Amino acid sequence: MLLLPRMSSNLARLLLLLLFAFSICDAVALPGPISDRHRSAALELFAPQHGSFASLEESYEALRIFEILAVREKPDVRATTCPKVLENLVSSTPLKDLFYALKVNGILKCKVNGDIFKDIASRLKATVKDAKTLVDLYYSIGSLLLIKDQASDVDVLLADADGTFHSIKALSQSDGKWRYTDKPESSTYAAGLALEALAGVITLASSEIDQSRVNLVKNDILKLFDSIEKYDDGTFYFDEKLVGGHEHQGSISTTSSVVRGVFAFAAVTSGKINLPGDKILGLAKFFLGIGIPGDAKDLFNQIESLALLESNRISIPLILSLPASVYSLSNKDKLKVRVNTVLGSAAPPLTVKLVRAFSTVAKDSAVIQNKDLKYDQNSGHHVLDVLPDEVDVGIYVFVFEMVLHDADGEKVYATGGQIHVPIYVTGIVKVSNAEIAVLDNDLGSIETQKTLDLAGNDIVSLSANHLQKFRFSFQLTTPRGHAFKPHQAFLKLKHETKYEHIFVVGNAGKKFEIVLDFLGLVEKFYYLSGRYDIELTVGDAVMENSFLRPLGHLELDLPEAPTSKAPRLPPLAVDPYTRYGPKAEITHLFRTPEKRPPTQLSLIFLSLTLLPLIGFLVGLLRLGVNLRNFPSSAAPATYAILFHLGIAAVLVLYVLFWLKLDLFTTLKTTALLGVFLLFVGHRILSHLATTSAKLKSA
Amino acid sequence: MARSTSKDAQDLFRALWSAYSATPTNLKIIDLYVMYAVFTALIQVVYMAMVGSFPFNSFLSGVLSCVGTAVLAVCLRIQVNKENKEFKDLAPERAFADFVLCNLVLHLVIMNFLG
Amino acid sequence: MSKKLIVLFLGLVPLLCTCFSPDTPSDRRVLVLLDDFAIKSSHSIFFNNLKSRGFDLDFKLADDPTISLQRYGQYLYDALILFSPTIERFGGSIDAAAILDFVDSGHDLIVAANGNASDLIREIATECGVDFDEDSSALVIDHSGYAVSATEGDHTLIASDDFIKSDVILGSEKIKAPVLFQGIGHSLNPSNSLVLKVLSASPSAYSANPKSKLTSPPSLTGTSMSLVSVVQARNNARILISGSLSMFSNRFFRSDVQKAGSPTKHDKSGNEQFVTELSKWVFHERGHLKAVNVKHHKVGEVDEPAIYRINDDLEYSVEIYEWSGKTWEPYVANDVQVQFYMMSPYVLKTLSTDNKGYYFTAFKVPDVYGVFQFKVEYERLGYTSLSLSKQIPVRPFRHNEYERFIPAAYPYYGAAFSMMAGFFIFTAVHLYHK
Repeated sequence: MLLLPRMSSNLARLLLLLLFAFSICDAVALPGPISDRHRSAALELFAPQHGSFASLEESYEALRIFEILAVREKPDVRATTCPKVLENLVSSTPLKDLFYALKVNGILKCKVNGDIFKDIASRLKATVKDAKTLVDLYYSIGSLLLIKDQASDVDVLLADADGTFHSIKALSQSDGKWRYTDKPESSTYAAGLALEALAGVITLASSEIDQSRVNLVKNDILKLFDSIEKYDDGTFYFDEKLVGGHEHQGSISTTSSVVRGVFAFAAVTSGKINLPGDKILGLAKFFLGIGIPGDAKDLFNQIESLALLESNRISIPLILSLPASVYSLSNKDKLKVRVNTVLGSAAPPLTVKLVRAFSTVAKDSAVIQNKDLKYDQNSGHHVLDVLPDEVDVGIYVFVFEMVLHDADGEKVYATGGQIHVPIYVTGIVKVSNAEIAVLDNDLGSIETQKTLDLAGNDIVSLSANHLQKFRFSFQLTTPRGHAFKPHQAFLKLKHETKYEHIFVVGNAGKKFEIVLDFLGLVEKFYYLSGRYDIELTVGDAVMENSFLRPLGHLELDLPEAPTSKAPRLPPLAVDPYTRYGPKAEITHLFRTPEKRPPTQLSLIFLSLTLLPLIGFLVGLLRLGVNLRNFPSSAAPATYAILFHLGIAAVLVLYVLFWLKLDLFTTLKTTALLGVFLLFVGHRILSHLATTSAKLKSA
Repeated sequence: MARSTSKDAQDLFRALWSAYSATPTNLKIIDLYVMYAVFTALIQVVYMAMVGSFPFNSFLSGVLSCVGTAVLAVCLRIQVNKENKEFKDLAPERAFADFVLCNLVLHLVIMNFLG
Repeated sequence: MSKKLIVLFLGLVPLLCTCFSPDTPSDRRVLVLLDDFAIKSSHSIFFNNLKSRGFDLDFKLADDPTISLQRYGQYLYDALILFSPTIERFGGSIDAAAILDFVDSGHDLIVAANGNASDLIREIATECGVDFDEDSSALVIDHSGYAVSATEGDHTLIASDDFIKSDVILGSEKIKAPVLFQGIGHSLNPSNSLVLKVLSASPSAYSANPKSKLTSPPSLTGTSMSLVSVVQARNNARILISGSLSMFSNRFFRSDVQKAGSPTKHDKSGNEQFVTELSKWVFHERGHLKAVNVKHHKVGEVDEPAIYRINDDLEYSVEIYEWSGKTWEPYVANDVQVQFYMMSPYVLKTLSTDNKGYYFTAFKVPDVYGVFQFKVEYERLGYTSLSLSKQIPVRPFRHNEYERFIPAAYPYYGAAFSMMAGFFIFTAVHLYHK
């Protein structure tokens, strides 16, 4: 129950995966075989750091890829890697490192002492007997196999091959998967490891393994393939759910592990494993469909699995690919088809037959039937010489079939039956008879009519009001003379305030026509009168001359918007470049100080103000002022003088106060002086009073 | 008619002038003092009319100084004038003392407000 | 939708960004959510590029039940990349609201959609201010601006070169080759001022289902349709929204490109340069400004006074730096302005610079008193916004700061002293005249 949503989401994921590699069509475009792009990707991904690879596993992967793809510019890492290999070819190294060291040695063929192999072999044989986990068994059996190839004199045969076979088989599940250990979680990846290990056991057995056991394993393989996942275009793959305790293997690792296991097993057993050819072809399509992986391990898994698929005992897939699926009638391209093996080598002699070709809009009638493609020796392509005249521009589906010259080849090769390929036939669509007219609404009579050459650059200038209609028409003809309906036929009216309105131009046969009745469009146009630019866009996937052409202007006079129902104009986009920018500078205008009179005027008036004082003094003199009343005796005179001095002191104090003193000091001093003045003044005034009283009485 | 009015004005003026000459000198001194103060005030007002009242506090202070002085001098004249029956019992020295005190206070205020 | 966005952000602006430290604003830990681990392999050039710039990428499946953005209130990642266009529901504790909270707290986001984008991804994009075409089977088609290809005949693979003119977003080096794009288009709400079109569609492009005929005009056409947009939020979080996941793929990076109607064939598409420069901007390696050391003082002094007097001459200076991904570099521009502001700007001046990030100016305090602010509000296309404000009161003249002796008042002074002199003479004359 839990598996089902997983699988459907896996399907969804694979859909996505394939969509990255292919364009989005009904029948998905075909992946091509391995090409030079893979070779350059291999060099890029497996670039040694400081002359050597990070680990023995990576060294093996790099060297194996360079070997399979026959990469010419491969880096020479022999000098740095061989010492590492020798280092690890000791009994005490962990099984995994030993395994990869032997693998690397198998390719590089470093000089290794024969005794080392003997040493390791005996240890490995002991490990095989005692091993508890599938992974240990896998590495030890694999290492023994490698030693067998590299040192023929060392005895690597297993004493108890049957027992080992049994212990590996015991870990299998009923659905074809295997367990890693006694723990119940099963894994498809483990199945691949187990099958490879079993194949190794069969090779290393001193005496032949019981055929019934081998057949049981063959059944396991068939059951495993029952759980294969597939996509609609015939791609098959294996995927894995998360197994606790082990690294999560994606679909590429899992599928390549199964491929390694199954083909290793098939290579060492007699008799056929009845795996249907379309599943093998589906696996090949899966690996080719990845394109060029960006991860080194994924690239290795892809290339190694394809190498195993290239020549195997079950069924060899043949890949049909088209270098181009877009053909131009105007360029008179020829349809070319290639058939290769997965690694890009030549296919066995065969003929590619075009069973039928039909248009996607008329699926029942075929435009081409039963044509054989000619094989061109020089380029290796199968070529369709000429497309018959019935083939017009449009989207077609071509159905191909491979017919092998050798009748027995059907059993060896998987061709995939009928292959549907979408083909785009493009051409130049003729645009003609373009006419623009402004019609009066009620009568339908033409007020202005102009013809346009849409191939040229001329434009028209029209005017209309809301009571009139606008009509535009043109014709489209395919190269073969039929009617053509493009996917995109838009007429756009753009107002000077940047509001746009788009209309689809409909057609009846070859003739395309659109009539705009402005009376009904007044509200849609937001009651905006003024100049509208007219633009026509016509385009289609199969039209080589799709165009966007300005047709001219239309001065449109619409009535005023009624104030009760004023249309709300939708907001227009603000140009982002003008949105941000520095603001205008502001400087504060200071309050102008009051206009002052010129200093000279003030000085003049200062002197004028002092004039009355002088006038006062003069007047006093004229009046004959005297100081005869000034007391003559000493004491009153002193008091008089002191009194006046006191007054003067107070006045001077006041002047000082004005100049710099503060009020508190002044008041204090004034108080003191005041007391003094009071005393002195009293004295003098009383003296004066008595003097005058004496005078009066006298 | 005009001739008689001008002649009457001249006669009036002469009569006033001779009457005034009869006043005692100390009163004339006070009158002169008052005239002096009033003239100073008038000059300041003319100046203000010309240039505007910019330091208004200074203007007020200057004018108030003159006006205050004039007012106090007039008060002194009233109190010192022997013909004034109202202040018969007030000794002129006492009036003078008041005059001095008020003036000192006036000038303190003026100095504070002059700015 | 944009109103929702604006309200959302305005409400959360006080929650200042606490993500990366303000001293090193580059993101470090990035969570990458994928539909399938095959994307990790097919987009490896992009991811390796990010890794080489120092980012820690954490790849997870989008429906992995163990994923989460935060634990115990702390965010575990500084940025999020959503390369999972078909995901219907995220696993673990992530959902659309969690992602929006993540962005609201100042973190960056890259979202890539595709032809079969799920409603969840569309909803996230809408919350960010970008509306994808509502028709779920629509793709961007351009019959005049497609990429010439022998294998793709339906014109959904387009070569676009209508870039935004901004050196800070796209780098100073011009992108010569067009960018390959295959996916869905989106429109921007015109009243949203935070979102920008980085890659616009050409005037002949439209968004429709290539397999079915059009009966009514499509809702998205022409240059108002955007292919790649960015959003810079008010808390300076940056979001990149692209309608095509394959734009980031190895295949497009390595592909050659020839735009229909153009004779030049470029050996390498502009995708890698475009995506790399854009990712530098999104992850704050460019265009992130900080302003420090705001100083103001009276001309001739060094210390900052607590209060200014009207008609004082003052100097204002600020230092602005731009984060380069590793260090703070001085920011050079000639349009930084400062305002002396109380309810409305009284003074607005452009700051001069010594080209080493130091901006300064001098002006006279207006003769209005009150509590003013030195405001620097700097907003430029592609740069984080700077908003500085420093309050300073301005007082009027003290009673003893006015002109001491006013020449216009000399007559009055003269009159007062003349009165005093006259008084003194009078007292003497009055007492002793006989």
